[in-house]
Amino acid sequence: MKYRRKWLLFSTAAMVLTATIGGMASPVKAKNSDKPLDLPTQYSAPGKSTKAGNNSTLKLAIMNDAPFKGIASADLSDNDEDTQAFKPGNSNLLFKTDDNHKIVDGGLANQSLDKDAKTATITIRDNAKWSNGAPVTAKDVEYPYEVIANKNSTSQQYSSDFEAIEGMKEYHEGSAKTISGITFPDGENGKKVVIHFTKMAPAMAYTGNTFIWGSADPYEYIKKVPIAKLASASQIRKKPLFTGPYKLDHLVSGESTSWSPNKYYYGKKPNIKHISIQVVSSHNSAAAIKSKKYDFYLGGQGVPTSEFPSVKHLKDYTWVGQPAQSYNYFGFNVGHFDTKKQVSVMDKHSKMGNKKLRQAMMYALDIDSVDKKFGNGLKWRGTTLIPPFYKQYHDDKLVGYKYNMKKANKLLDQAGYKKKGKWRTQPNGKPLTIYYGAMQGSSANESAYRYNIQQWQKAGLNVKMTNGKTMEMNSFYSTLQKPKQNKIDIYSGAWKLGDEPSQTSVYGANAPFNYGHFVTAKNTELLNKMNDEQSWNESYRKQQFYDWQKYMNDQAAYVPESYAMDYAPVNHRVKGYNINAGKSEDFWSDLSLTAANPK
Amino acid sequence: MWKTILRRLLIMIPEIIILSVLVFILAKAMPGDPFTGSINPKADASQIHHLMRVNGLYDPWYQQYWNWIVHLFHGDLGTSYEYQEPVTTLIAQRGMNTFWLALFTMILTYVIGLPLGIYAGSHEGKLPDTLVRVYTYITMSIPFFVVLVVGVWIFGYTLNWFPTSGSIASNANGLGSTILSRLQHIILPGLLGALFGTVNIVQYLRSEVIDAKSSDYVKTARSKGVSTKNIYQHHIFRNSLLPIAAFAGYSITGLLGGSIFTEMVFSYPGMGLLFLNAINYRDYTVITSLVLLYGFLNLLGTLLSDIILSIVDPRIRVE
Repeated sequence: MKYRRKWLLFSTAAMVLTATIGGMASPVKAKNSDKPLDLPTQYSAPGKSTKAGNNSTLKLAIMNDAPFKGIASADLSDNDEDTQAFKPGNSNLLFKTDDNHKIVDGGLANQSLDKDAKTATITIRDNAKWSNGAPVTAKDVEYPYEVIANKNSTSQQYSSDFEAIEGMKEYHEGSAKTISGITFPDGENGKKVVIHFTKMAPAMAYTGNTFIWGSADPYEYIKKVPIAKLASASQIRKKPLFTGPYKLDHLVSGESTSWSPNKYYYGKKPNIKHISIQVVSSHNSAAAIKSKKYDFYLGGQGVPTSEFPSVKHLKDYTWVGQPAQSYNYFGFNVGHFDTKKQVSVMDKHSKMGNKKLRQAMMYALDIDSVDKKFGNGLKWRGTTLIPPFYKQYHDDKLVGYKYNMKKANKLLDQAGYKKKGKWRTQPNGKPLTIYYGAMQGSSANESAYRYNIQQWQKAGLNVKMTNGKTMEMNSFYSTLQKPKQNKIDIYSGAWKLGDEPSQTSVYGANAPFNYGHFVTAKNTELLNKMNDEQSWNESYRKQQFYDWQKYMNDQAAYVPESYAMDYAPVNHRVKGYNINAGKSEDFWSDLSLTAANPK
Repeated sequence: MWKTILRRLLIMIPEIIILSVLVFILAKAMPGDPFTGSINPKADASQIHHLMRVNGLYDPWYQQYWNWIVHLFHGDLGTSYEYQEPVTTLIAQRGMNTFWLALFTMILTYVIGLPLGIYAGSHEGKLPDTLVRVYTYITMSIPFFVVLVVGVWIFGYTLNWFPTSGSIASNANGLGSTILSRLQHIILPGLLGALFGTVNIVQYLRSEVIDAKSSDYVKTARSKGVSTKNIYQHHIFRNSLLPIAAFAGYSITGLLGGSIFTEMVFSYPGMGLLFLNAINYRDYTVITSLVLLYGFLNLLGTLLSDIILSIVDPRIRVE
């Protein structure tokens, strides 16, 4: 999924792994001294909900500086704003999860995995219906695979992991009309789908994995629209169907959606009679909260980080949040991409190929102080490449690169980067100039970039911005995406991970997003272990994630810079607000209101 | 005159073609493509190539241009890579929003600007003139962006007089309610745009009125005993309108231009943000369509201005 627009506003570079629909975790206290705000993950207004309150409209906002696109299908949408704008429909999600995003029974459908038979069986609940009253069928579960993998599809969700499904590759290439590995034991109108795989992966047990798609499409309703034109069809944009607690009443293109309870919903009936969701500019999102225009904000942020202090202590709102699924990081260019073999190759003698040089550059930065100054308690130094959002995999014992200029200098001296005049030279005596690539961002971003360069220069390294200034987003990525480039030696980037944080697609040898081309046998081994046979054992899998984080920290080819909080203000008339992943199934149904207007 | 108009319209065709080729080449020359920095990182390299191929982005530019032209003549401007919607639908939606807001702002601007300009000019050097000049200096010197943010804060969030986001309420249903809601949504941005956008009209008109007051034909009229009211109505006002009329054509075609600031602050989906985002995200189909549309409107604006000028001033003839 791409989240570039939103990220451009507050971060350095941004890309996202998979749909981040669903759950959240409790806040995790960081080990270092500059810890983030300890926000609760739930809020419930005191007193009882009232009839007047529940009959009124729950007013929600999405902070974004552009209209949302309005594609109400997880298969075809590629941005977070759409997900948020259609959220009361529950995004037609198939599965319920626990707090760690592991699939559990009780959602629209249940899933059972059979490692030996290499199958996944998805059983839809009997009373599952679309918001037009039509039953949810087996074909509805299968159709998203056709939409995503069709050779004329506009979807960006297809990945080679899907080819673990028998017959998927043939269908994707157009040589087969159906996906042979997806079968319907009770017929297309039945309630059961069996997916046959060539290999199984432990990631399949979690939502957001890249093997099993997590949402359904109303096949009967959209079947007449050619897949290539589906994203622009009114069945997807203007009058989409949902399986969740609310149905869409009205949509104003790019601006707002309004909802009322879906009488065909299988689960707990919602209390609130109306919901409206409106896009609000980041320029006045803080003013909107101060004037009580909205009950809460959807998405990661309620206001820009820089404005948080001005709304932190509002009398009628409680801030709810948790660590985000995203992180900022530094990447080093240590190789190139072999276009023939489609694999990254590490060049041992590349400028940034020396591990000690990379480590020294990280020790030279006092990120704790930078985040303290600009983060307002919502950003803090990252310690591993798995953010604390993934509490079962994040290794909170690792300390990462805490500022230590002495150590930085020592490492450089040890590695032979000796000072000749103002700057250090390469171990072979040649001059060393390091080019730092960073995308245009907020003034806080720009200050942080300047600070980074200043610190590296203090360590005796001649670091300059690529092209002498920050880069426009397209130039930045065009440069990084070249198979071989020498314009950027170190760069600032950001990732947002999906619910299932397997790392191969970003840091694997074949991953096109391994922009620094860091490839070692050890890294490949550790990445593979996260999804090998033994990793069905949860504690073993956890250990593989731990080992990988430790290894990546030591190698310092990709180093986490900062983690961030997701945070939202919740008005004091709202009861039952809870963002824990295990509660996401009933998130909308649990909400109720104690007054007719935001307090 | 009609011959001239026809000839000017015909000349537009090669101009538009040259513009379209230039825009197409320049758009492709920009670094990046519609998928830069935005592909789902779980997609592998082959999927990226697949999407590029399906969208014809690996074809040489002239072939892409030709395909685009062929579709254009079938009334198809292509599909936006960013919004996954036909460009015609997208422009129609955003264009409509922008048109109503811009029209409202333009009418208000003239309603405020014309009387102020005449009044200031006719009271040159007196208190009303000073007040009007101070007003125009203030409105000119405050960045419009600040005006919008402060405006929405005071009148939208603090006093709650106007809606603060979007072009229409999410629950507006039925014709009457829709029109009313749209009007409610454009009053504040329109009023701010007009109050802070009158400086050109006021200053032009003021100086023209001052010039006209001391011109020979006004002196003659005065010496003949024509009433002041008549002099203003029949002599000064009409002549003073000439420079404003010269811009009127552009004002009309500029109704579709959109204002990035207004659209951003009011979360108002219009043409300005559409164009800006299309450039940022290399949404080629939208970029080329919009540049062509604006190019055409500019040419049309020039022609309209000439025609309007000839109507206002009988001495000018379009030949």
